Amino acid sequence: MADIALTENLAAVADRAAVVRRFGMRDAGFRWLTRLAALLVVLVFAGVIWSLVMGAMPSIKHYGWSFVTTEAWNPVTEKFGALASIYGTLVTSFLAMLIAVPVGIGIAIFLTEICPRPLRRPIGIAIELLAGIPSIIYGIWGLFVFAPEFQQTVEPWLIDLLGNVPLVRALFEGPPYGTGIFTASFILSIMVLPFISAVTRDVFETVPPMLKEAAYGLGCTTWEVMWRVVLPFTRSGVVGGAMLALGRALGETMAVTFVIGNSHHIHTSLLSPGTSISATIANEFAEAVGDLYISSLIELGLILFAITFIVLASAQLMLRTLERRSGGAS
Amino acid sequence: MALYTRRKAFNRMFLVLSVLAAVFGLIWLAFILGELCWRGLEGMSSRVFTEMTPAGDADGGLLNAIVGSVMMSSVAVVAGTPIGLLAGTYLAEYGRHGRLAFVVRFVNDILLSAPSIIVGLFVYEFVVVPTHGFSGWAGTVALGVIVIPVVVRTTENMLLLVPNGLREAAAALGAPRSSVIRAVTWRAARAGIVTGVLLAIARISGETAPLLFTALNNQFWSTDMSGWMPNLPMAIFQYANSAYDNLHRLAWAGALLITATVLSLSVAARLLERKRS
Amino acid sequence: MDAAVKDKVKVDIRDLSFYYGATKALKNITMPLHDRQVTAFIGPSGCGKSTLLRILNRIYELYPRQRAEGEVMLDGQNILSSGTDINLLRSRVGMVFQKPTPFPMTIYDNIAFGIKLYERMPRSELDGRIEDALQRAALWSEVKDKLKDSGLSLSGGQQQRLCIARTVATKPEVILLDEPCSALDPISTAKIEELIDELSEEYTIVIVTHNMQQASRTSDYTAFMYLGELVEYGTTEKIFTAPENKRTEQYITGRFG
Repeated sequence: MADIALTENLAAVADRAAVVRRFGMRDAGFRWLTRLAALLVVLVFAGVIWSLVMGAMPSIKHYGWSFVTTEAWNPVTEKFGALASIYGTLVTSFLAMLIAVPVGIGIAIFLTEICPRPLRRPIGIAIELLAGIPSIIYGIWGLFVFAPEFQQTVEPWLIDLLGNVPLVRALFEGPPYGTGIFTASFILSIMVLPFISAVTRDVFETVPPMLKEAAYGLGCTTWEVMWRVVLPFTRSGVVGGAMLALGRALGETMAVTFVIGNSHHIHTSLLSPGTSISATIANEFAEAVGDLYISSLIELGLILFAITFIVLASAQLMLRTLERRSGGAS
Repeated sequence: MALYTRRKAFNRMFLVLSVLAAVFGLIWLAFILGELCWRGLEGMSSRVFTEMTPAGDADGGLLNAIVGSVMMSSVAVVAGTPIGLLAGTYLAEYGRHGRLAFVVRFVNDILLSAPSIIVGLFVYEFVVVPTHGFSGWAGTVALGVIVIPVVVRTTENMLLLVPNGLREAAAALGAPRSSVIRAVTWRAARAGIVTGVLLAIARISGETAPLLFTALNNQFWSTDMSGWMPNLPMAIFQYANSAYDNLHRLAWAGALLITATVLSLSVAARLLERKRS
Repeated sequence: MDAAVKDKVKVDIRDLSFYYGATKALKNITMPLHDRQVTAFIGPSGCGKSTLLRILNRIYELYPRQRAEGEVMLDGQNILSSGTDINLLRSRVGMVFQKPTPFPMTIYDNIAFGIKLYERMPRSELDGRIEDALQRAALWSEVKDKLKDSGLSLSGGQQQRLCIARTVATKPEVILLDEPCSALDPISTAKIEELIDELSEEYTIVIVTHNMQQASRTSDYTAFMYLGELVEYGTTEKIFTAPENKRTEQYITGRFG
C-alpha cells in the first residue's frame, strides 16, 4: 500500500513541476508589467517638467530674470512680464486661504464635536458636494450671479465703509467692477474650503478617543479640548491639508479666469481687476501667435509648476509625518 | 469663579463661530446649486439633446458637445485605468518599501494635485506640436494623464486594505504571486478599485483647462478624433464668454448636465463603498 | 499499521535556526515528523512554534528580512535549498491558518482555485474532486445545496472547514495547522478535532496549539518548545505522562505559560 502511494506521488509531482515552470514565466511577465506601469507614471512627470522647460527656453533666454520682475504684458510689442500674473496667483490664493482655512477647520470642528449625531452625515456629505462641483461651474456662477450682485450691493458698501479709513483705504478703492481680485479670491475660498474641511476631519479622527476623554475628564470645555489637545496633536496633518489646498488654489484655472478681470496690471486695491498665471494661459494660449508669445506663456506655466511643486511637496512631507506618528499604513 | 465664567464665554463664542462656519459653507452650496438648477433648467429643452452647438445668435443644442465629451472621456478612462491599476498594484504588492515605489508615490501625489492646465501644456508640447494641430486624441491624452494618478492612488490604498491572511492562504496552496494578486487580492479589493475609477470619471467630466489647447472645440458634429473635437466644458467656456443670451442659457444647461453627471457618479461611488463595508 | 510504516519519517528537521533580522528566533531545532501521524507543537506564547511551522512551507518568504538556516528534508530533499521551487513545495505542503480566510468567491470556486492551478480536467471530474474535498472536511452535507453562495456566507466553524477542504483538494502530502480552532466555538472545535483524526490516515499532520488538552487528544507525537528552543520531543503519551525535562513538566502541569 505504501509503495503504490509513493509512485502515485512521484508522478503527480512531475506533472506539477511542468506547471510550475509556466508559472515562473507568468510571474516574471506580470511583475515586469506592473513595474513598467509604475515607471510610466514617473516618465509622465519627467515629461511634464521637460516639456515646460523646453517650451519656455526661448522666453527664458530672451528675458532672463527680468521676466519675473516686469509688469508689462504686451503681445503687440512682444514685451512680456510675468509680475502681474504671479502677483495675482499669489494674492488670490493667499486671500482664499485666509478665508478658507479658519472656516474649513471650523466646519471640521462643527462636524466632529458639535453637530448632533443624526445630522453629521448629511451635512458632511453636503459639504463634500461643494468639492465635487466642477470648477467651471464656479466660474460661470461667479460671472453671472456673484459678480453682478457683488457689484450692486456689497462693493459700494465696502467702498463707502472703508474708503476713508487711512491705511485700509488703499485696499478697497476704485470703481465697483464686480469682478476683480477680491471676487476671484472669494470664489476660490468657497472652492477650497470643503477640501480643508474633509482633510481636517480625517485628521481629527486619528486622535485617540482616550486623549480627548482625558481632557474632558479634567473639566475642559470643548474649545479647550480642541485648542489645547486636538489641534496640537494633529498640527502637521492640519497644516499639510491646508498646504494641499493651497496647492490646488494656486493652480485653479476656470473658477478664477471668469471673474478676475484679465488685466495685466498690479493695483493695490483688491477690488481692481488683475490676472493670475493660469487665467493668463487659459485666456491667451489658444490664440497666441509667435514663438516668443507662446514661449512666454509656457514659462508662466513653468513658474506655476515650480510654485505648486514646492507647496505640494512640503504638504506631503507634513502629512507623512503625521501618518508615521499615528502608526499609519504598513 | 470669574475665571470659569470667562472660559465658558470663550467656549460659547467658539461654538457659535463653528456653527456659523458650517452655515457659511451650506449657504453657498445652496446658492450655487440652486442657481445652477434654476438657470440650467431654464436653458434645458429637448433641443439640447438633439441639435448641434450653434454660433452667434442662433438657437441650437449641445448634442455634438455631449457626444464628443463622452468619446474623449471613455477612451481616457479605458486607456488610463489599466495603467493606473498596474502601477497601483506595483506599489502595494511588489515594491512596497523599495526606492522606486517611494519615487512613484511622491510623483503620483504631485500629479494628482497638480494644476490641470499644466497637463494641457505638457500635452500641447508632446502631442499637438508634433502632430501639427489640435485634436481629440490630444484632449484624450490630457484627460488620461489626469485619470492615471487617481486610479493609482485608490488602487494602492484599496490593495493595502486587503488582509495579509488572504494572500497567505492563496500562497499556501501553491499559487504563484501573479495568481494570488489577480485571482484573490484584486477580487477582494474590487469594489474599492471600481470606486476609484468612478471618481476618476467624475473628475475628468468637469475638467476644462486641459482641453483649452489640446482638443479645442468644434462647433459642428464630428466624431473624428484627429481633428478639433466638440466637447461640453469648452462649449460652456466659449458660450459663457460670448455676448449672446441664448448662448448663456445653453452654457447653464451644459453646466447642469456636467454637474448632474459628476454628482451622480460621486453618489454611486459612495453607495458602492457602503456596500463593501 | 505495522511498525515499519509507522516509524517512517516524512519530514526531517536538522539543526534549523531562524532569524528575524538579526534576532535569532529559533535555535538549532532537530526533530523528525512521522509519516501519516499527527505531531503537535506546544509551548507558551512566543516560544516559536508558529515560526517553526511556517518554515515548513516557506510562507515566511513573503516577508522581508526573515531567513532560515539548516535543513528541512521532505522525502529526502532539502526544501530550504535554493533549487527547490516554492510554489511546488506549497502544493505538497498545505496550510490552514488561525483565522478562517475564505477567498471572496463562491464556495465552489474557493475549492476549485487550488485544483485549477496545477491540474486540467473536465468539469464533471472537477465537480467530483470538489465533492470529495468537502466530504473529507465534513462540510459536504451542509453546503451541497449552496455551492454557488459566497464563501463568506458561512459560519466561522464552517469557514474553517472550507479552508481545510480547500487545502486537501490539492492532494498535499503534509498538512500544517496553525492553531486552527482558536477562533472557533467548542462545538466547531470538536468537529475539527474529529477531522484531524480522520485526515491523519492519509496525510502527515503538524498542528500548533496553545491548548494542551487539544494536543494530548489529537496528536501522536508532541514537541514542547520554549524561547525558540526544542525542549523535549517524544510520543504524546510519554510527554504528558512521564516528561523527562523539568520545564516540560512545569508547563504540562500548568505551573507557567
